[in-house]
Amino acid sequence: MLRYLVHKIPSVLGVTVVASMVAFALPRLAPGDPAVALVEGDADPATIEALRAEMGLDLPLWEQYLRWVGNLLQGDLGNSYLLNRPVSQLIGARMESTIELTVAATLLMIVVGLVFGILGGSRLTPWARTAVDAWNTFFIAVPAYLVGLLLILFFGIYNRVLPVSGEVAVLDDPNFGLQYLILPALALSLPAAATVSRLVQTSMLTNRGEDFVDLAVSKGVSPRRITTRHVARNSLGTAAVVVGLRIGDLLAGSLLIELIFARNGLGSLAVGAVQQRDYLLVQVLILFAVVIAILAQLASEITLAALDPRIRLG
Amino acid sequence: MSTTDLDNAAAPPAARRFTVPVSLARYGAALRTPRGMIAAGILLALTAIALLAPVIFPQGYDVQSRDRFLGMSTQHLFGTDEYGRDIFVRTVYGLRTDLALVAIAVPVSGVIGSLLGLSGAVWPRFGNLMQRVFDVIIGFPSFILALCVVVVMGVGFASTVVAITILGLPGFGRLARSGALEQQNREYVVAARTLGVSRRRILTRHIVPNTADPLIVHGAIFAVNAVFIESGLGILGLGVQPPQPSLGSLLNVGMRYVREAPTYPVGPILVLLLLALALSMLSDSLNERVNRR
Amino acid sequence: MMTTSESTDTPAAADRPARIPDPRPGSRNLLDVRDLRVSFPTPRGVVEAVNGVSFSLEQGRILGIVGESGSGKSVTARAVMRMLREPGRVDGGSVTLDGRDVLAVPEKEMRGLRGGEVAMVFQDPQAALNPVMKVGDQIAEALRVHGVPKAAARDRALELFRQVGIPDVERTIDQYPHEFSGGMRQRVVIAIALANKPRLLIADEPTTALDVTIQAQILELLVELRNDLGVAIVMITHDMGVVAELCDDLVVMYGGRVVESGSVKDVFAEQRHPYTKALLTAVPRADAGGDQLVAIPGSPPNPADLPPGCSFAPRCPVARPSCSEAVPPLEELAPDHRAACFVSAEGGDLSMPPAVQARHRAARAAEGEPVLSVENLRTNVSRQRSLIGRIQPVYAVDGLSLEVRPGETLGLVGESGCGKSTLSRTIVGINEVSAGTITVDGRDVTRMTGADRQHVANTIQYIFQDPYASLNPRRTIGQSMDEALEMTGVTGSAARSRAAELMDTVGLAEGHLARYPHEFSGGQRQRVGIARALAKEPKLLICDEPVSALDVSIQAQIINLLEELRERLTIGLLFIAHDLSVVRHLSDRVAVMYLGRIVETGTVQEVYDDPQHPYTKSLLSATPEPVVDDQGRQRIVLTGDMPSPANPPSGCRFRTRCPIGPLFREGREVCEQEVPELTLTPVGQTAACHFPGELTEGAPA
Repeated sequence: MLRYLVHKIPSVLGVTVVASMVAFALPRLAPGDPAVALVEGDADPATIEALRAEMGLDLPLWEQYLRWVGNLLQGDLGNSYLLNRPVSQLIGARMESTIELTVAATLLMIVVGLVFGILGGSRLTPWARTAVDAWNTFFIAVPAYLVGLLLILFFGIYNRVLPVSGEVAVLDDPNFGLQYLILPALALSLPAAATVSRLVQTSMLTNRGEDFVDLAVSKGVSPRRITTRHVARNSLGTAAVVVGLRIGDLLAGSLLIELIFARNGLGSLAVGAVQQRDYLLVQVLILFAVVIAILAQLASEITLAALDPRIRLG
Repeated sequence: MSTTDLDNAAAPPAARRFTVPVSLARYGAALRTPRGMIAAGILLALTAIALLAPVIFPQGYDVQSRDRFLGMSTQHLFGTDEYGRDIFVRTVYGLRTDLALVAIAVPVSGVIGSLLGLSGAVWPRFGNLMQRVFDVIIGFPSFILALCVVVVMGVGFASTVVAITILGLPGFGRLARSGALEQQNREYVVAARTLGVSRRRILTRHIVPNTADPLIVHGAIFAVNAVFIESGLGILGLGVQPPQPSLGSLLNVGMRYVREAPTYPVGPILVLLLLALALSMLSDSLNERVNRR
Repeated sequence: MMTTSESTDTPAAADRPARIPDPRPGSRNLLDVRDLRVSFPTPRGVVEAVNGVSFSLEQGRILGIVGESGSGKSVTARAVMRMLREPGRVDGGSVTLDGRDVLAVPEKEMRGLRGGEVAMVFQDPQAALNPVMKVGDQIAEALRVHGVPKAAARDRALELFRQVGIPDVERTIDQYPHEFSGGMRQRVVIAIALANKPRLLIADEPTTALDVTIQAQILELLVELRNDLGVAIVMITHDMGVVAELCDDLVVMYGGRVVESGSVKDVFAEQRHPYTKALLTAVPRADAGGDQLVAIPGSPPNPADLPPGCSFAPRCPVARPSCSEAVPPLEELAPDHRAACFVSAEGGDLSMPPAVQARHRAARAAEGEPVLSVENLRTNVSRQRSLIGRIQPVYAVDGLSLEVRPGETLGLVGESGCGKSTLSRTIVGINEVSAGTITVDGRDVTRMTGADRQHVANTIQYIFQDPYASLNPRRTIGQSMDEALEMTGVTGSAARSRAAELMDTVGLAEGHLARYPHEFSGGQRQRVGIARALAKEPKLLICDEPVSALDVSIQAQIINLLEELRERLTIGLLFIAHDLSVVRHLSDRVAVMYLGRIVETGTVQEVYDDPQHPYTKSLLSATPEPVVDDQGRQRIVLTGDMPSPANPPSGCRFRTRCPIGPLFREGREVCEQEVPELTLTPVGQTAACHFPGELTEGAPA
C-alpha cells in the first residue's frame, strides 16, 4: 500500500507544480499590462511604474514565480487590487457557502449514485430496469446547470415550493439553510450521480458474467448474497475512482450553480474576477480548485487500493 | 495432397468480392437501433433547421419590436425577449452558433488530440511527455480550464472554440495512444513486422484504421461536452457575446428575466435538451455497436 | 496429510451417512441424465446445443465427457447444476440425482443441492475466484451458506486446505487469490467444491489452463479424492489422454449428441463410432513416433447450423448416403457399450483409410550451414524501474544457445513462462537482445539494424498461436497476402496468381482471398497464416504453438500440412510447443527449456527414449497418453511451480522442484552452488544436470 502511494507522489507533485505555473502565467499571457488594467482611465507612467514595482512585475519571471509560490506557501495569498482587500479575506468570506454546497452535493452524489448503480446492476423487473436506465440516460445527457434551471423553473417559479435565490448558512439555521441548499445541491449532484451509477451498473453487469459468480452459484449462495458480496463488492473500486474524478467537476460546476441560484460563494467571486480581469484573485482561485481536485483524486485512489487487494498488495 | 483439400468442402462463390467492410457495417447497425434512429432523426432535423435559418428567417435574429416579454403563442413560438425579438428565431440562430462550434471544435480537437496521441505511441519519449501534459489538463476541472482560456483570450466565439479544443485533447490523445499501443502488441502488427513491412506502412495500414473506431465514438461523446461547455460559458456571460445568440447566452439572459417572462428560458432549454439527448443517444448506440469487439 | 470423509467434525457433515463407495456393481446410479435437451433462443434463431443426451454415473466413479468446442459438453454439465447461461433453457429430458428430479426441485432447494450434493470445478481458476475476497473466506462462505457456524467453517476450511495439498495453511488461508499460483488456485477451487462433502463433483476442463506438470498434480489429487472420499466425478475434457489416465467411464459427444459411451477400457479397446476412432488416430503420441496422422477433414459443426442426420456424416470416412437422412439412435452394440452409428450398428467396418503416405522421413543429419544460430542469448523483458529509476532486469531467456540447419526441424518444449515465446520473438526482432548473438543465414543480426531486419524477414517467417489475432480483422485475406507479396517485390497480376497459388498450397481456394478473417474457421485461418508466411519463401519457419488454440480434430490437419510443406519446400522449422506429443511427431531434434535455459537437447529418439535430465523425465512422465493399460503406472509428479524469472534459484534452476535434487537427496549442495552446464551424456544427447540419467520411472516424487 505504502509502496503504491509512494509511486503516486511524483505525478501528484508534478501536476500541482505545473498547475501553479499555469495559474501564475495566466495574467502574463493575457493581453495588456496587468498594471495598466488596474488603473482606471489614464494614468501617468510614473504611477504605473510604481504599481508595477509594487506588484513585482519588474522582476525576472522566474523570480516573480518563486516569490508568488513562496508567499502562497506562507499563507500570503496577495491582494486583490480591484477590490482592494487581501485575497485570503475574500476567499475566507465566501468559502463556507461553497464548502456547504460541494460537500452536500458530494454526499448526495455518492448516495444517489451508488443506490441507482447497484439497483441497475441487480436483477430487476423490465419496468424497473427501464426506469433506472431512463433516469441515468437523462441525467448523463443533461449538465448540472440545466438541471438547476429546470429545478428553479419547477420549484421556484411555476410552483413556489423552495427558495431559489440566495442562501442561509446551514450551521446558523439548519432549517432554512437546508431549504436554500437542497435545490442547488440536487442540481449539482444528480448528473454526477448518474455517471457514477452508470459506471457502477456496467461494472456490476460485467462482474455478473465472471466465473467467480458461477462458482458462488455452484456453492449454493443465494442471489442476494451474490449481488452484495461478489458482484457489488467487486464494483466498489470503479465507484471510488469515478467519485474521485467527479469531485473536481462538482467544484467547477458549483461556479455555475452558485451563479444560477445567486449564492455568494467562491464561484460567483471567480466569475466576477474573470469578468473584471482581477488576475491575482483568479490565479489563486484556479490553483485552489486544481489542488482540491487533485486531492480528491488521490483520496479516491487510496480508497481503491484499500478496496482492492491486488493493488494494495501487488 | 492428402491434407490440403480437406478444410474447404464448400469453395466460396466468386461473387463474394464485395463484402461490406466489418466496421462500416457496424456503424450502419448502430444507426439502425431504435436509439440510433431517434438520435439520427433529431440531429438531422436540428441541423437542417439551423442550416436553413437564413432562408426561413431572412430578417435575422435582431429584429426588435415593442412586444416585449410576450409568452408562448403561435405567432411567437417561444415568446419574445427584452427587446421584443422573437425568441424562437433567436434560438434557431443560437442553435446555429452551437452547431458551428461543435462542427469546428470537435473535429479540430479530435484530429490534434489523435495526432498527439499517435505520435506518442510512435515516439515513446514524446508520448511520456504528452501523457504528463494530459495529466495536467485533466487535473484541471473542466470549467476551471475554460475559465483560464477566457482569462487569456477574453470572451467570445474564438475563446470558446479554443477552450473546447483544449478540453478535448486529453480524451482523444489518451485514447489514440492507448489504442495504438494496444495495436502494436496485436499479433497482426507483429506479423506485419516479421514480414518486414515498414513502420510507416504498419502505422497507416494496420494501426490507424483499427484505432479509428473508438476515436469516432469518443467524438460523439465529446460533442455532448462541447455543447455543455458552450452553454455553461454562455450562462456565466463568458461565452459568445450579444447580440449574436447562442443557446448558452439565451439561457443567461432568459434566467435574468425569468420573473418578468416565466417562459423566456423554456424554448432554449428544450432545444438544448433535445440536442444533448440526441447526441448522447447517438454516442451510446455507437459505443454499443462499434466499440464492441 | 490426508483426512478422509470419516472425520465428521462439522455439523453439516455429521448428520449425513458416511459415504463409502458402494462395492456392489450395478447399484443405483448417483446421477441419471435422460434425453436432455437444451437450447438457446437467439435473435438469429434457436441454437440447439444439447439434443437428447443420456448417461449415468455410479457412486465413486469418474466419468469423462469428451468433445470439441460446440459439442455441448459444458452445456450438459451446467444443465445438471441448473446453471445454464442466459438465454439457455432445458427443453426436455430429466436429470436425476440420487433419486431426486433435479429439474423439478424449487430454486431454493436447488441452492441446497448446489455445493451441498453437487459441486463444480471450473476451467480457469484465476477467473473462478473472487479477487477481493480472502480464499479462506471463500471456502468458509461455501460452508456458511449451508448452515455451518462461523468458527466451525474456519476449522473446516483449514482442514480442506490441507486435504488439497496447500502448504502453510495457517498463513495462506488469509491470502487473496492473486497471491497464489495457477495450480494452487485450482486447488483452492477444488477445496471450495469439497467443502460440504458433495457426492458429485463436476469438473469442467479443470486442467486445460494449466501446465502439464501442474495438470499431473491436479489429476493425482482428483484420483486421491475419489479414493479417499468416494466422491463421483464428471470430468469434462477434450483430451483423450486425460480420459485414459483418470476416468472409469466415457461419454463422447459430437454436435450436441452422445455418439459413443461405455467403460474407458471397452471404448479404448474398440471404438464403435468413427468419430471416436478418428479422434484417437488424429492425436500424435509422445510415447511413439508413429506414422502420418490420419486427419479428420473439415471442422466441428456449428451448433446453430447442424447438418441433417448424423452430425458427423459430412466428415465421416465411412458415411453412407442414409447417414445424412436420419439421426442414428444410441444403441447398445456390446454389453454396456453404446454408439450412435448406422454403419457400426450393422457391424460395418469403421477402419479409417490408411495414411496416404507412409512416413519416409529419417532423422536428418545436420548438414549445411545453420539457417539460424543463437549463442548465449539473454533477453530482458522487464521495464519495471526501481524507486531510484534503474531498470531491474528480468531475463526470460538467460544464456541460451541453439542452431537450426536447412530442412531440419528443431522442437522446443517447455511450460508456460519458460521463455520459449520470448526466444522466438527475440529472434525475429520484436524483443531486444540483451546479450549474446543471433546469426541468421550467415549474417550476424544481433543489433537488428534496418538491413538486419530485412535480412531476417527474408529468411525467417513466423506462424502464430492464435491465427485470428494474427490477421488484421479489417483486411481481406487477399489484402493480407498482397502485403506479404509486396515485401518480396511481387505486385500486380503476378501477385494475384501467386496468392492463388499459395492458397492452393495450403489447401484453400482462390475465392477465399476476397473474404475477411472472421468468415473462416480456426483451422482455415491457420492455413492463411501459413500461406502468408510462405509468401516470403523463407528458409526457416518459427511456429509458436501453432496448433494449441485449435480443436483436436483440426490439429492433425495443420500438423500434416506443416509436415508436407517442410518436405516439399525444404524449409527448416523451429517448432515451439508445450505439447510433447506434437513436438515428437514433427521434430528431428528437440530442446527442452526450463526457466530461460535449455536443460536437455538431442535427437528426438535420444531425448524421448532415454531422457537424462530429471525435468525432461518428469515432463514425459506427466504427459497423459491415450492408452488404457497405462493406468497403473507410477507417475513422477513434480511438486510446486516454476519459479519466477525475476528471481531465479541459484545453481541449478530446477533444483527447487527436482525429485533427485537437494530437497529429496542428502548432500546435493552442488545443485545449489554450481550451475550445471550442457554436457554430453553417455547416451548421446546433452543435458544440463549434475546427476544426469539418475532419475528413473517410479522414483520418489
